[in-house]
Amino acid sequence: MKLPILTIVMTTIFTGTMLTMISSHWLLIWIGLEINMLSIIPILTKNQKPRSTEAATKYFLTQATASMLLMFTIVFNAMHSGQWTTTNIDPNNMIVSLTMIIALTMKLGMTPFHFWVPEVTQGVSLMTGMLLLTWQKLAPISIMMQMFTSINSIILLLIALMSVLVGGWGGLNQTQLRKILAYSSIAHMGWMMAILTFCPSLTMLNLLIYLMLTIIMFTMLNMNTNTTTLTLSNLWNKSPTITMMILISLLSLGGLPPLTGFLPKWVIIQELTKNNNIAMATVMAIMALLNLYFYMRLIYSTSLTLFPTPNNIKMKWQFQPKKRSLFLSPLIILSTLTLPLSPVFSTLN
Amino acid sequence: MLKIIIPTIMLFPVIWYSNSTMIWINMTSCSLMINLMTLPLLNQAGNNSNNFSLTFFSDSLSSPLLMLTVWLLPLMIMASQHHLMKESPTRKKLYLSMLISLQMFLIMTFSATELILFYILFEATLIPTLIIITRWGNQTERLNAGLYFLFYTLIGSLPLLVALIYVQISLGSLNYLVMNMWFQDMSSSWSSNLLWLACIMAFMVKMPLYGLHLWLPKAHVEAPIAGSMVLAAVLLKLGGYGMLRLTIILNPTTKIMAYPFIMLCLWGMIMTSSICLRQTDLKSLIAYSSVSHMALVIVAILMQTPWSFMGATALMIAHGLTSSMLFCLANSNYERIHSRTMLLARGLQAFLPLMATWWLLASLTNLALPPFINLIGELFVIMASFSWSNVTITMTGLNMLITALYSLYMLTMTQRGKFTYHIHNIKPSHTRENTLMSMHMLPLIMLTFNPKIIMGLTY
Amino acid sequence: MNLYTSFMLITLIILSLPLATNILYVHKNKAYASYVKLSIAYAFITSIIPTTLFIFSGQEMIISNWHWMIMQTLKLTLSFKLDYFSILFVPVALFVTWSIMEFSMWYMHADPNINQFFKYLLMFLITMLILVTANNLFQLFIGWEGVGIMSFLLIGWWYGRTDANTAALQAILYNRIGDIGFILTMAWFLMYSNTWEFQQLFMLDNNLDMLPLVGLLVAATGKSAQFGLHPWLPSAMEGPTPVSALLHSSTMVVAGIFLLIRFHPLMENNNNIQTLMLCLGAITTLFTAICALTQNDIKKIVAFSTSSQLGLMMVTMGINQPYLAFLHICNHAFFKAMLFMCSGSIIHSLNDEQDIRKMGGLFKAMPFTSSSLIIGSLALTGMPFLTGFYSKDLIIESTSTSNTNAWALLITLIATSLTAVYSTRIIFYVLLGQPRFISMPIINENNPLLINPIKRLVIGSIFAGFFLSFNILPMNTPQMTMPTYLKLMAMAVTLLGFVLAMELNIMTNNLKLKIPSSTFKFSNMLGFFPTTMHRPIPLLNLYMGQNTASSLLDLTWLEKTMPKIMSKTQMTLSTTISNQKGLIKLYFMSFIASALMMFLLIS
Repeated sequence: MKLPILTIVMTTIFTGTMLTMISSHWLLIWIGLEINMLSIIPILTKNQKPRSTEAATKYFLTQATASMLLMFTIVFNAMHSGQWTTTNIDPNNMIVSLTMIIALTMKLGMTPFHFWVPEVTQGVSLMTGMLLLTWQKLAPISIMMQMFTSINSIILLLIALMSVLVGGWGGLNQTQLRKILAYSSIAHMGWMMAILTFCPSLTMLNLLIYLMLTIIMFTMLNMNTNTTTLTLSNLWNKSPTITMMILISLLSLGGLPPLTGFLPKWVIIQELTKNNNIAMATVMAIMALLNLYFYMRLIYSTSLTLFPTPNNIKMKWQFQPKKRSLFLSPLIILSTLTLPLSPVFSTLN
Repeated sequence: MLKIIIPTIMLFPVIWYSNSTMIWINMTSCSLMINLMTLPLLNQAGNNSNNFSLTFFSDSLSSPLLMLTVWLLPLMIMASQHHLMKESPTRKKLYLSMLISLQMFLIMTFSATELILFYILFEATLIPTLIIITRWGNQTERLNAGLYFLFYTLIGSLPLLVALIYVQISLGSLNYLVMNMWFQDMSSSWSSNLLWLACIMAFMVKMPLYGLHLWLPKAHVEAPIAGSMVLAAVLLKLGGYGMLRLTIILNPTTKIMAYPFIMLCLWGMIMTSSICLRQTDLKSLIAYSSVSHMALVIVAILMQTPWSFMGATALMIAHGLTSSMLFCLANSNYERIHSRTMLLARGLQAFLPLMATWWLLASLTNLALPPFINLIGELFVIMASFSWSNVTITMTGLNMLITALYSLYMLTMTQRGKFTYHIHNIKPSHTRENTLMSMHMLPLIMLTFNPKIIMGLTY
Repeated sequence: MNLYTSFMLITLIILSLPLATNILYVHKNKAYASYVKLSIAYAFITSIIPTTLFIFSGQEMIISNWHWMIMQTLKLTLSFKLDYFSILFVPVALFVTWSIMEFSMWYMHADPNINQFFKYLLMFLITMLILVTANNLFQLFIGWEGVGIMSFLLIGWWYGRTDANTAALQAILYNRIGDIGFILTMAWFLMYSNTWEFQQLFMLDNNLDMLPLVGLLVAATGKSAQFGLHPWLPSAMEGPTPVSALLHSSTMVVAGIFLLIRFHPLMENNNNIQTLMLCLGAITTLFTAICALTQNDIKKIVAFSTSSQLGLMMVTMGINQPYLAFLHICNHAFFKAMLFMCSGSIIHSLNDEQDIRKMGGLFKAMPFTSSSLIIGSLALTGMPFLTGFYSKDLIIESTSTSNTNAWALLITLIATSLTAVYSTRIIFYVLLGQPRFISMPIINENNPLLINPIKRLVIGSIFAGFFLSFNILPMNTPQMTMPTYLKLMAMAVTLLGFVLAMELNIMTNNLKLKIPSSTFKFSNMLGFFPTTMHRPIPLLNLYMGQNTASSLLDLTWLEKTMPKIMSKTQMTLSTTISNQKGLIKLYFMSFIASALMMFLLIS
């Protein structure tokens, strides 16, 4: 893709999301979502392989469905309340609130509307996958955060719990890194949504940390274009430092203290417990271990074992990596070592 | 406390900036110097706790454990030298960094005032240990062992996090110093039983309780020497420490809930000791013996009497040094025989007489020979359990018998008997190894002269 | 009274000096063995002084030295109790050990680790002295366990031999069973009396529960090899002969009896425990005497005779005569040590041949050893005016005249007679008749290191009883009057034993039984004890360890129920969940389905 076109497309994507985030009018929000969705399709098909075309199609279909549902909800709501402002959604109107949840969770790719996420992510390149699993989450979440008071919390908690479970179990069976990260994204969305109705600022916090971690994971994988566990296990002779970093980031993604990834889990559990949702908190905490398990598998093959095959490309590490990533090191530090800063985050409440 | 923590952190630059030939020397000497700074902690005037700040404190329960941790770092470094001989300097440095970070976390764990902080650091110790076990272990089973280690501990401890948060919300604070002052009795309901379970299970898994111990033999067997040492010496004690701390807020429920666990421990003690009698694998034997010793500690803590607390604390320290020493000895065998199988290392007394002496001493302390602190610990626990119920003496007594048998069986198998032919050209023991053993033995002997400093809070 | 404590302490310090020299590398010295021997000799001489003082003044005392720690209400100090028992036992033990040390310089001279051996022996002695002089249960326990561990090391001295290692482990096994009783007692006293100091214990309550006393009895049974826990004692003969001599004379095995003697104040009013002790002692003394009858290993015979004598001491405790039992301990030490040294001398001279069937005629070759052996045996059987007589005769007399269990008394009498029988057997087979050994070895007993200690002990075996019983006041009231036939009873059964044994030996010397009789089998197979009790129980335990504990529980149940089942479930769930076909139609189908379900759920 040529640079000017890429610039235009990217700008459009960002504009769409921005539009959704800043507007308080349902129509504008919907327009933003549509702009964003339409403009990401070229990015998805950048590689022009059957796989990416399939992915783009699937993505388009689900997102379009979600948008239509959203539109339907907006209209329905406007019909009832005569208003187009976001904050004004009648929580007692079942159809509105439920359809809204369905539309947005479908956009976010949460269980039971998650099926497209692993496949679309698998179909596209690493950087596009990163875009898909990070930036594309912003718009729907921003909508949800604007209208969290009027969301049916039981349904949302149910969806969240299911997402955590599916995110855990789904990833166990995978060897493809993009799929694993997609499932991990499903699980994280579950965590974010679980806390949304209680304390949206924690959703924000979780989102931030999730974004950082996913970005560095994708960036690091992209440096050597690793897409399978097998290629990960050859990483140690290409870039030994990265193996260590992958270890730390994955553990952080799994939420192991004292890494940053533990922070959202901790505060979410705290908030849930505070709202007498102890069982939910416990189940979610335990289920996060499933994620940790498949991260552990990646860690094992990346950094804790040396792949027992002779390789002809030994000493590859002496060459400078071609792909450079400017923000990698600060991001890694941020996403792993900021747990001691947790008192700062407590001001979010 | 920063006097200890900051030098520990500064060990990182020491090691990464040292010359590759100077790594071991620099590390050992610096970490030994840190030891000196822990000594003033023993001076607990009037048996009060030393409150260094709102975050860190130490009292007569935590300071012995803290000292044990700090003492163990140079020992681990000394013990690992042969294991890491063939590694590149960077990897050596990485390995040592893991050990240092482990020590850093452990120091903070033992001195944290806040339970959540304690929890975070308690979990934080998992990462370096896991890396040590799985990265530097020897067999492929180490991967499985690492998973067992991580997931047993995590499944046990995640409910603890929830429980702690719940307690914090209902009590308002999780500060030990405050909790000592005011604690409310727990209500006698099912939910408080569940709370009790959630609070205790994490430590039960860590100790480990019989039934939840499967990770321990695996982890011990597969871990490199430093991993085994620190696991046996300190990480298991985290469980005991946590239980001793947490039982304060679990007061009346413990009386009811303790029964099945005490039974299980007493039963498991016999079972694990019997397993020891049939072990062929040296490290596995030592690991199982740890399980049976820790069962005594659990019994003691659950019994909740001053005597049993004293016994538990003393036994923890004693067992820390003893089992670590046994692992070192097993490792020195392993380095020569290249197998953990006891049958392959017979009659070593003829070749390595001084090492045989260390073996003897380690076995004797393991079987709790009077007047070693191991005996003081075990004796107090047995006394306390006897006064709890007279029948327990059959179990504890039987365990004492079997402990003696397997300790001496181990000694006899490795040191006595006819030597096998493949050990004709083994290396003599290094001064490093002998120093290592004596540095395990000396504290044991010295503490025997004044055991009251490791008797914990209730002394 | 300063002389009293200071000399006792000097004794102990002198003893520990050779151990302290470890640091100074003196132990590398060739002469280390003689240092040890000398220090024991000096310690003996020093300890004579307080003993003499005690004999003339009768003053008991406690030295309390070092404050170890205070636990709540329990005070633990390093304190020595110097009373009748300890102050008399110390010189006896030192005297006997002195001789044994000298003997081992001869016996072990070829051993490369002779210095270590001496160190071990010395530590063995020291732990025994700690045990004897302890004033509280904890200190006693230190000595108690120390003795056990040192016996482990010494029995397994020849560590290349499997038998030696097994025997050492066996000793620990049986001793530890006894220790359970000891720990039980400690726990009980702590719980109910809240103290471990002897004085306080004895002052508190004399009508105790049975439990701690039974605990003590179990402890003594283990250490003193009473019936049930006796098999380790004959097995311990795998150790070097000096070890056997020390183990059987003045240390280790008498510790159990000594413990009971110490706790006598608590037992004297308790008939039940006395009956128990009486029966146990009687069974032991008869059983082991029977076992001794048909053994062919000279050391085993002597070992069983020790066990039998220990049974006799236990009987004495059972009839409430602790002072008599103590006297027998002291007397027994002299001749038993000597018997072992004689057999050691014989064994050494015959190139490590222990089978009495391959000896014979040694009277000519080794006159000194032979005469000592005969004196020792006679003393053992209680010939009048030898050492054994002074205690044994009294024991039999007071047993016969006491109004307790007649059955136990009968058994004891039979055992006494059997003592004579096996003693005769040793003398007959070893000393008399024609030589049956290979004529290769050069038999030489003229080494001062061998002769001197035996000589000293011969003197001891002849006169010690006299000195001990005439210089020391009897603390119990001795039986003053009795019918003549009772008075002569002990004498008579012993003589009967001699005569019978002599006749039988001469008769059967050249005969071989075609089919061994069942009595012979019983005796030769050690009463079938090893086959019925000794082996099956550990075997069962080991099977349990392997099958139940390890294979069934650890490797199967715990593994299967927790980690395996969990991973199985997760695996199934995971394959179910992530098994996607990649068909967008199906996905939309499921979207609609779940959306509908939500609607249903909410409405």
